[in-house]
Amino acid sequence: MLQLRGLRKRFGSIVAVDDLSLEIRRGEVFGLLGPNGAGKSTTISMSIGLLRPDEGTIELEGEGSPREPGVRRHLGLAPQSLALYDDLSAEENLVFFARLYAVPHAKRRAAELLEMVELAPRGRDRVKTFSGGMKRRLNLAVALVHEPKLVLLDEPTAGVDPQSRASILARVRELAAGGVTVVYTTHYMDEAQRVCDRVAIIDHGRVLALGTVDELVRAHGGEVTVVVERGDEIERMPTAQPLPLIARILESGAATGIRIERPDLEGVFLSLTGRSLRD
Amino acid sequence: MLAVLAIAVKDLRLALRDRTAAFFIFIFPVFVALFFGVIFSGGGGRGAGKVPIAVVNESKGPRASALVADLRSDDALDATEIPSRAEGEQGVRRGRFTALVIVPDSFDASVLSLFAGGGLTIELVTDPSRRAEAGLLEGKLNELAFRQLGSLFRDSSAVSQMTSLGKAAIVAAPMSDEERSALSTVFGGLDRYSTALDAASTKKRTDAGADTGANADAFEWRPIRVKVSTVLDERKRPRSSYEISFGQGVVWGLMSCVTGFGASLAEERARGTLLRLRTAPIRRRQVLLGKALAAFLACMIVQSMLIGLGQLPMFDVTISSWPLAMLAVIVTGIGFCGLMMLLAGLARTEGGAQGLGRAAVLVLAMIGGGTIPLFFMPPLLQTISGISPFTWATRLIDGYTWRAFSLAEMASALAVLLAVGVIGFAVGTIFMRWQED
Repeated sequence: MLQLRGLRKRFGSIVAVDDLSLEIRRGEVFGLLGPNGAGKSTTISMSIGLLRPDEGTIELEGEGSPREPGVRRHLGLAPQSLALYDDLSAEENLVFFARLYAVPHAKRRAAELLEMVELAPRGRDRVKTFSGGMKRRLNLAVALVHEPKLVLLDEPTAGVDPQSRASILARVRELAAGGVTVVYTTHYMDEAQRVCDRVAIIDHGRVLALGTVDELVRAHGGEVTVVVERGDEIERMPTAQPLPLIARILESGAATGIRIERPDLEGVFLSLTGRSLRD
Repeated sequence: MLAVLAIAVKDLRLALRDRTAAFFIFIFPVFVALFFGVIFSGGGGRGAGKVPIAVVNESKGPRASALVADLRSDDALDATEIPSRAEGEQGVRRGRFTALVIVPDSFDASVLSLFAGGGLTIELVTDPSRRAEAGLLEGKLNELAFRQLGSLFRDSSAVSQMTSLGKAAIVAAPMSDEERSALSTVFGGLDRYSTALDAASTKKRTDAGADTGANADAFEWRPIRVKVSTVLDERKRPRSSYEISFGQGVVWGLMSCVTGFGASLAEERARGTLLRLRTAPIRRRQVLLGKALAAFLACMIVQSMLIGLGQLPMFDVTISSWPLAMLAVIVTGIGFCGLMMLLAGLARTEGGAQGLGRAAVLVLAMIGGGTIPLFFMPPLLQTISGISPFTWATRLIDGYTWRAFSLAEMASALAVLLAVGVIGFAVGTIFMRWQED
């Protein structure tokens, strides 16, 4: 659906994206993960046509480069910073953006989207009266107003309450089920694990790992950890063979509690990108 | 095209919902027009267009009183008689009066000794910063003094007194016998003139059977007559002060449009919505055209609103040519649209837009007729004001109202504003491109 080949982008002496190549398949939810400054936003900006790569190509399948206005008709963007007109109502925001994309029957489409993101009762209210979660849902709705083939969601659940978060994730799964390709960036690993079909972890402008969550966990997650509680003491024992170990612990009779911690995406992420703080 | 219209409608809607912006774009110009209209019509408490002076009559004689009466009835002066020189000087210092005219106590006596070394003496005390008015007053006093001389020569007893005093004066005066003889001849003639004048007046009174006053019908001696005409004929004078002040209102409305819409790109950038506009399937120029269209429509609305309001009977703003007015309104809209685009291109942040608005646009509006009408300004400032697009807009407004310009007379202003529009749009677009890339 979207092919990124050999992308390079430099800002002065800083190399933001360094020979990055990705192929995003039709209908999948593709997670783009990375620490701050990894190059995610730059990659997203190039994918949507906002930035011109210094080297490499970007092509939307069957359409061409997103630098062309006609190609951008098939792309949708929900930016991390909310991009809405506070003094317009939710309906007015949607109708305006629908008209930018020459969507026929803009008001009807706006009504459909308001229903989809559960904002129909507040459709005539000005956006400045909305909560953060409501604004995030509307932000998503605007990205979908023109029924794009591919939509880029840049941290769509940042700063929202659990209810709005659940609603947004549900909409993302619905989109994918309907054949829309989603590129999803987030800092919440559990979210990526729940919603993404495949994930690319990038850092310093390069792809460090790419695959399904299970593949990444198997390849980079390390061993299972058996956590044994003996009163107030807790012992963590990584092991490739958890069952025999558990059997031995139970035979010894000294444990008051045992649990298994499986490697997860956060573990994979930290092992690949390190634990040091990023600016 | 739909995208351009959508952006324009959205921007206009946002402007209307911003109460502060809407007030300054649509309401404040009306206040300006009404306020300055009242002020220039004399509603501020002074005679409209008259020079306020104080008059002190220290003489109280008939000649002095006649001069004071002429001062009070003159169309160019707003004369107030006050009791003392000190009060008058204080009034001038405080700005209540432009000048103080003092008719000295020796005025009547000195008039009659015109041929004996006397003459009309009037003292004028002025504010040193108001030289133009001082010159006007000096000329006016000379005019009225000559008028006094004229009335003097219609009074046979006054002529007789002046002649007697003159004859007495030349007896002891240091002059040659020939000069003394020549002057005696003149005085002899004046004596005969006085006698004949008196006889003629007596005969006239006898014939009319009524006392018409001494020499009331004698010729009027006015050696100097100044004929005043204006460059505008009767049809082209401002019919009301509102024909000037509504132009000022338009200037303020245009200024508010420029500063209000000029900040809209910076606001979109800060709000994040510029990102959506740039990722939409439209070209950059369509975004800019949409914003320019919103500003253009706002400029048109402001101008049309004030023109419409000016047609009310109490304001009586005459439109000399409706087709020219419409052309001027459209071209003015284009010009200020370009100025708005230039501001939008230069201002990257909302603070930057506000700063540019205050520093540049406000100053241009003020020197362009937004505060003082152009024709009230000193010549140097009128020349400098040519750099302001507001000046050219004001000339167009004056042109389709009280100056009743032809198309040829409006051509230069139309051309300048069109150029401002095109160049402003082009340069603003270039600056925006440079910033975004």
